[in-house]
Amino acid sequence: MTRVTETLRDLLQTLLRMVPWPTEPGLRVIGNPGRESPVVITCNYDLTVRRLTRALRGIDAWLVVAPSRGINVWCAAAGGLLTTSQVVTALKTCGIEGRVQQRRAIAPQLAATGVVASEVARRCGWKIRFGPVYAEDLPRYLRGSSRKDESMRRVRFGWDERAQMAAAWGFPTSVVLGLAFAIAQPAWAIAIVAQTWAMSLACFFVYDRMGRGRWPLMWAAATACSLGAVAAGDGGGAALATAAGSTTLIMAVLTYDFAGGTPIEGGSHFEARQWHITLDPGRCEGVYSCWEVCPEACFAKHEETRKVEIAHASRCVKCGACVVQCPQDALFFTDQDGRRIEPDVIRRYKLNLLGHRFETGETGDSGETTAN
Amino acid sequence: MSSLVLMRILESAPDRYDAGMRVLSLGAVPRLHEQAARLAVHKAGARVLEIGCGTGAVTRLLLERGANVEALDHSPEMLDRARARLGDHWTGRLLLRESTAAEIDALPAASFDAVVASLSLSEMSASERTYVLAAAVRALAPGGRVVIADELRPRLLWQRTVHVVVRLPLALLTWIVTGTTTHAIADLGGELAAAGLRTVEEHRSALGTLAAVAAERER
Repeated sequence: MTRVTETLRDLLQTLLRMVPWPTEPGLRVIGNPGRESPVVITCNYDLTVRRLTRALRGIDAWLVVAPSRGINVWCAAAGGLLTTSQVVTALKTCGIEGRVQQRRAIAPQLAATGVVASEVARRCGWKIRFGPVYAEDLPRYLRGSSRKDESMRRVRFGWDERAQMAAAWGFPTSVVLGLAFAIAQPAWAIAIVAQTWAMSLACFFVYDRMGRGRWPLMWAAATACSLGAVAAGDGGGAALATAAGSTTLIMAVLTYDFAGGTPIEGGSHFEARQWHITLDPGRCEGVYSCWEVCPEACFAKHEETRKVEIAHASRCVKCGACVVQCPQDALFFTDQDGRRIEPDVIRRYKLNLLGHRFETGETGDSGETTAN
Repeated sequence: MSSLVLMRILESAPDRYDAGMRVLSLGAVPRLHEQAARLAVHKAGARVLEIGCGTGAVTRLLLERGANVEALDHSPEMLDRARARLGDHWTGRLLLRESTAAEIDALPAASFDAVVASLSLSEMSASERTYVLAAAVRALAPGGRVVIADELRPRLLWQRTVHVVVRLPLALLTWIVTGTTTHAIADLGGELAAAGLRTVEEHRSALGTLAAVAAERER
């Protein structure tokens, strides 16, 4: 594939990032790997596979692409499409077992909410280590004896990711609104497209930093800007009303699932906000798997007591990766009434977005045990 | 049946799965299930391994025909539905287990009279299908058979044309709602032959898109 087609494909898949883009699961060869070369696992989202392949240029490795229905690692793992089953299936069926001597594989850290490392080991004998969050850090990780510093463990959501997510939301929204206006009111179509992109960029660059009352604040600012632009262009009452209406509509679309569109916020729905990660220190034996997989580095290690502590609870995005990986079941979700969701429920029901965990939590072990 | 693509929507809510599949396929899927069970169970007490049992529709038919069934699915939610459907009536004759299809390679060799996969083979990647079919052959007892009930690519040109025309809007709708679709198996006969199996019985729907196929080891 030439560099031009590769770039065009990157662009298209970034603009249509909401859409699954599957590539054939199976084994890919990076460089000239041998029987001791590292084995890296990822999802079958085409953009991820191509980015990972580029990041690994110059390294000899085996890349196992697991079936995740063309969804990216973070969403697929949280949504039940990249779980222990998919990784076991990929490792067993792609042919890697005949190519390498060792049975160790590196999975992306953000898969930790779906893939239970101990279960993979039990079911197919492969030892999974969770590597860095970002593919670009993988070469450094591989050269550094598979050790992760905090920069490799934390989700950054830097300007480039923000721009990508703004494009992912802005593009489809602007296409739909642009087409609707092109039919109904052609003179305003370009202005609507520009407004959508401007609001999408503004939203993904500042919305999460605005704190309480951010929706009305952002809405007021966007409305003032659009009304000001219409007034400056001598628009009449109908234009002003349309600008106000479109601003509200675009705001609603962009913020409806803002938390889901970013890797830095917890659930945006009421139920999700009620549950918190709780640690039972008595059970903790200092394995530090939670510390290893938390994308927000919420945990602190205490080497002298061999325990962890939830040092930065406010940063928790409630992905559940720590709960899923803890071999002692020392972590679980609780709510303010003391109800708790057991680790096994989190491991079994990944579809937290559909509320399955909460249903199970409420009808299951409600109220018997309080943590802390 | 082209409307099978809509099964993706139903999978997102197992509670609606069976009713939805019945309506969307205009009754074709329940017929397919019946054919699969009939092809798989030749005698009471037959040992049947079911790959991807889903909500247990085929499992129940296999049990009703007198088989002893080990039914697998990788989805805990689907297994919950299967347990609810099958209840405690079949104790001693039914084992429901969370497992991927690939893990059947760990089962004892030559231990089943039939291995059944209903609407699950088409969900797999090509390499997974190859692996699973080989493992299924290994699990078959002498004289046993593999039974596949699934969405296949039609053989005749007119069937393929109608299939594409009917399927396209449904596939588009499903893709918009669920972001995915089903993939008809292009050459099941070839894949079975590569696994050392020969087709001994086949029932296709009128459009040729759904088929129940029984295959046995090449002698």
